[in-house]
Amino acid sequence: MNQFDPISRRQALYQFGGGFGGMALGTLLSDTSPAAEAVSHMTPDFQPRARAVIQLFMHGGPSHVDLLDPKPMLNRFDGQAPPDHVADDESLTKHLFGSPFQFRQYGESGLEFSEIQPFVSQHADEIAVIRSMFTEHRNHEQAIWMAQTGLTTAGRPTLGAWTAYGLGTENRNLPSFIALPDPGGAPVDGVRNWSSGWLPPRYQGTVFREQGEPVLNLKPKQPRPQVIEDARSRLLRELNERHLAERPGQLELEARINSFELAGRMQLAATTALDLSQETKETQSLYGMDQPTTKSYGTRCLMARRLVERGVRFVSLFMSGQPWDTHSKNNEETKNCCLRTDQPVAALLTDLKRRGLLDTTLVLWGGEFGRTPAAQGGSSNATSGRDHHPYGFSVWMAGGGIKGGQHYGATDDFGYRAVEKRTQMANLHATILHLLGLDHQVLSWPHNGRDERLTDVYEAEIIEELIA
Amino acid sequence: MTNAALRSTRLSALCALLAVLLLQPGVFAAEQRELTFEKDILPIIRSKCIRCHAGVEPKAGLNLTSPSSLLTGGKSGAALRIRAAEFSLLYEMVSSDKMPPVGQKLTASEKGLIRKWINAGAEGVGNAASIDDSEDLTGADLWSFKPPVRPAVPTVRQLDAVANPIDAFIQHRLEDRGMTLAAAAERLTLLRRATFDLIGLPPSPAEIEQYFNDNRPDACARMIDRLLASLHYGERWGRHWLDVAGYTESAGILNEDKPLPLAWRYRDYVIRAFNSDKPYDRFLQEQIAGDELTGYWDAYETAERLPAEVVEGIIATGFLRTAADPSRPDFKKIKNAAGQYFYPTLFDTLQIVCTTTMGLGVQCARCHSHKFDPVPQADYYRMQAVFMTAYRPENWIPQMNRRLTIATKQQVEAAAKQNAAIDATVKRLQAELAALKATFTARIFAEKLAELPAEMQPEVKAALQTEKGKRTEAQQKLAAEFEEKLQPQGKVLEAALAEFTDYTKREKELNAAIAAEEKERPRFDEVRALYDLPGEATTPVLLRGDPLTPGPLVEPGVISTLAAPQPFQWAAPEVAAKTSGRRLAFARWLTQPQHPLTARVMVNRIWMHHFGTGIVATPDDFGVAGSPPSHPALLDWLATEFVRSGWSIKHIHRLILTSNTWRQRSRVSPQHRALCTEIDPDNQLLWRQTIRRLEAEPLRDAMLAVAGTLSRPMYGDSQSVSRQKDGEVIVPAGQDQNRRSVYVRILRLNPETMLQVFDQPTIAVNCTQRSVSTVSTQALTLLNSDVMVRAAAAFADRVWSEQPDDPIGQALLTAWGRSPGTGERELLTTFFI
Repeated sequence: MNQFDPISRRQALYQFGGGFGGMALGTLLSDTSPAAEAVSHMTPDFQPRARAVIQLFMHGGPSHVDLLDPKPMLNRFDGQAPPDHVADDESLTKHLFGSPFQFRQYGESGLEFSEIQPFVSQHADEIAVIRSMFTEHRNHEQAIWMAQTGLTTAGRPTLGAWTAYGLGTENRNLPSFIALPDPGGAPVDGVRNWSSGWLPPRYQGTVFREQGEPVLNLKPKQPRPQVIEDARSRLLRELNERHLAERPGQLELEARINSFELAGRMQLAATTALDLSQETKETQSLYGMDQPTTKSYGTRCLMARRLVERGVRFVSLFMSGQPWDTHSKNNEETKNCCLRTDQPVAALLTDLKRRGLLDTTLVLWGGEFGRTPAAQGGSSNATSGRDHHPYGFSVWMAGGGIKGGQHYGATDDFGYRAVEKRTQMANLHATILHLLGLDHQVLSWPHNGRDERLTDVYEAEIIEELIA
Repeated sequence: MTNAALRSTRLSALCALLAVLLLQPGVFAAEQRELTFEKDILPIIRSKCIRCHAGVEPKAGLNLTSPSSLLTGGKSGAALRIRAAEFSLLYEMVSSDKMPPVGQKLTASEKGLIRKWINAGAEGVGNAASIDDSEDLTGADLWSFKPPVRPAVPTVRQLDAVANPIDAFIQHRLEDRGMTLAAAAERLTLLRRATFDLIGLPPSPAEIEQYFNDNRPDACARMIDRLLASLHYGERWGRHWLDVAGYTESAGILNEDKPLPLAWRYRDYVIRAFNSDKPYDRFLQEQIAGDELTGYWDAYETAERLPAEVVEGIIATGFLRTAADPSRPDFKKIKNAAGQYFYPTLFDTLQIVCTTTMGLGVQCARCHSHKFDPVPQADYYRMQAVFMTAYRPENWIPQMNRRLTIATKQQVEAAAKQNAAIDATVKRLQAELAALKATFTARIFAEKLAELPAEMQPEVKAALQTEKGKRTEAQQKLAAEFEEKLQPQGKVLEAALAEFTDYTKREKELNAAIAAEEKERPRFDEVRALYDLPGEATTPVLLRGDPLTPGPLVEPGVISTLAAPQPFQWAAPEVAAKTSGRRLAFARWLTQPQHPLTARVMVNRIWMHHFGTGIVATPDDFGVAGSPPSHPALLDWLATEFVRSGWSIKHIHRLILTSNTWRQRSRVSPQHRALCTEIDPDNQLLWRQTIRRLEAEPLRDAMLAVAGTLSRPMYGDSQSVSRQKDGEVIVPAGQDQNRRSVYVRILRLNPETMLQVFDQPTIAVNCTQRSVSTVSTQALTLLNSDVMVRAAAAFADRVWSEQPDDPIGQALLTAWGRSPGTGERELLTTFFI
């Protein structure tokens, strides 16, 4: 094989990975060492700050001016037509819409949060809010692809898949990228939220479930007696060994056989990882698992902590549908979303911190875009909504090397457009990879005749000010 | 601070204050007239920007005084994008006060004007006059851009190694390096290998027996012919083609996974084409221009019915409809919908066409001349122009409305007449039905009224016959009491009416008559096709691939650097022509016998599916960045042989499968392995067969076949799939759960779980080469999934009923095609008993 031919070299690695010096197969099955092909992606002169990421993806686009980006001018001109230079470009919204929520400063840093996040705001000094995000599409899916995969086109690898590819896993019995969807239903854009795109399928997120068996087909639906299970495993092993013995040197076959052994180990590891009964009552209620509103999201937050604790690299949490998509009753719906998530998210930060995990776990909070400063529909402030808004919005990060207690960048007086330290998605992605010790310009995969990367052709900058 | 500076600071503070004051409603009330470059924008530029951005050497290469140079932009790219101020550099720079760097910033009003002017369409800008195409086109002498020349078949020392020319090419390279082909595999191995390769199923015990009993010298060739004649062949090889075509049955590129109920016709067309060994040139011509090739519009206008050939032609164009297209009629209202939603379909279509037929990823040239391959940017748009007459981003037809009816004008007109007659009859019958119902409802009223005491009757009658809103208080009371009884509604009325036999009898007759009429309505099948739309279509080069920065217009064409002997020949048709002929011209150019890529790319694909790796290991990249061919002469020999044979795919299968190269063992002697591994560890020179993984579909199909439950009906609509509560997507009970995998519905957002776990591609654009993954979810699926548990139970029942005395022997024969080996029977017996 031509040594200058990256495709065949990498393909050989992932097809025959099982044989190389006993290196286990793929990240789903591999041990602590990062995949061999990924070593070169590590930034040589930067000590990784984070070894895991918990992504709290807020589908629908949370309203930045009601949560993280206070805009007194909005309240002052409430109900009036927006000035020309901040008018909504699709003329869908004609009346400025002040936030009914009070903003206050929290912590020593005085970082501002609105009153509907009483729990998360207690972590003000750990949180860095980027107020100057912008994205390139005002439709959910394209903006989700932008946020999750770096471009507004479908079918690319997600941030989680890139992380799994770049870092491998620390626990060979668990996948390195795990998705925790809402048992109430898939998020908008479904399985693409944890897709590996054109990266090999082993980097895609494995769905772990909060109810029933944690992984699909971990056990048969009709349980079999243990004797039968054991005999089956023995027989399978015996047959496989015979098959292999007749075909020496067939590395892929070896890997295939290993995958059965590892499946057995995963049965145990996954079940243990998600056994929340091992947690104290105090911890469970910290996450709000004892209250109906917070139970579901709290459960997933706790699952995320347990998975990260066990060496999983990337955990993505989702809610069903797109709860932040507040086209009508923005105030009530935004508040509802906070009621469901604020306490669990804060609990996650508290819990990570007290276990010493926050320093090495990067927590990402944000959606695909923000919401318009002006009202959409509605005859009163109670019924008015806010429309999608790509030109300026906020996300936040905590832990994993982030310098908390700050806001970065700014939108204009109305929260319409990011004007200071404008932050494109590629900058956010480059920074996240950087914190993980990965160089966004190097982490690439040959596709469509070129080495493609998460930040694609963007001239992305690492946001040094965010890093502690 | 100097006084001047102080003044300036104070001034800007005052300006800011003023700006805030000016934010009062009404002050900036939108002017209704169209903003123009000359009147509204140029004055701002003159006063604030011209000092740097004008003249021969403007700063950053950006000249703001000529409107069209705004699109071309400067060193940092386009200064503006039409209708997208928020994403335009010009607006970004002035709105953030980064520009002008010194002196007076723009006022809020000036910023607003620029913003509004851009978002209203940037009047005066037009299309950019030129494109930046200065990059050198390297690699113009690339081997794959020149026509294949039939090479002489090399001579080899070990003549008995050569069964046909393929072997000569392979053995020649092996001998060069001191190696040789491995011995042929055992008969059973060859039978299983051929059967899986060609039809994607294991051989049945009967087929094994038949083959072993055939002692004629050409038994193997006969076996291969039998498999090539099997209708399952098209299901197996059609599936390979559906991968590269990017076939799915939903448009769910957006979250709404909209089903494409007509897509399966194209899938069936592909299966039939492979089964009938449709010449590959014709196969491509039909898929790219089936409507033009078979004269669809002529037939539509003049024929009584569409000839079968025409129907097939329009179905074949389904190939050009596989690109994701989520558009709905209401999308037209979205700002910049063409760029955001419609152009992507066109981009994807070109990517599918080029990777599939030419093994070239031209999509790089969408934004700039190709960095590796000699493809100028303008060529990309010349090829886009081929499809522009049909796709028309600026005059889009939403995907659900973009279809043809299998009917001619005569039929459509006749149908309209017939429908009008039916409409009239149905209307009359329905009127009669309504009258009948009214009569009997009145009768119920009268009868029930008569049951009331006589003195009440007039008042009750009057109350109920008065309109609801006009009833007196007394009448309202009466109505409340008697309405339900005298004027029953809904089911109660139906029940009351059913008491009258003369009503029910007539009602039945009338409804039957209506149903009979409805049945007579002419219905035509529909086809998800691509066809040209009326009117002129223009194709701008898109600067940086951006629909919001259009450049000069181009005419249809092809990759100019590709040395095809026959040039692309197209002349604009008459204005009245229904179809432009662009796609047919493209298809003819593409399928000329000496096209540098078409035949090479296809024989390489066939080779890849028989050996695991293509002669060119990158089937979608025959360009500079792709892998060079491992056997260039063989590739060209096969390509020219393919054309010589009349583009017969089955001929190439036959050649490959009767070669000693393909028939080699994968399990070779230790000496052979030791020698060859040293020289060629990756087996690029093919000193043995490679062990290959079965893809998802043959894996599932084989499992069902072995269990004896595989359902084999061909063609037609797919088995639907549904997402279960636990997240698994399966063919649900009630459907034919054991149907062959190629007939299981493929939804972009809800792929069938088992197939997906085993690497059936999740389609974004298309799949030119499948991934092969080894993950433990595969093991879990095989160990515990319902599908497997069901198949295992069926398998057990089957072998026990077929051979109650030797179920183990029968199991091995069915599953592996052989009798138990040493110790195997004992091992299995211990387990089962």
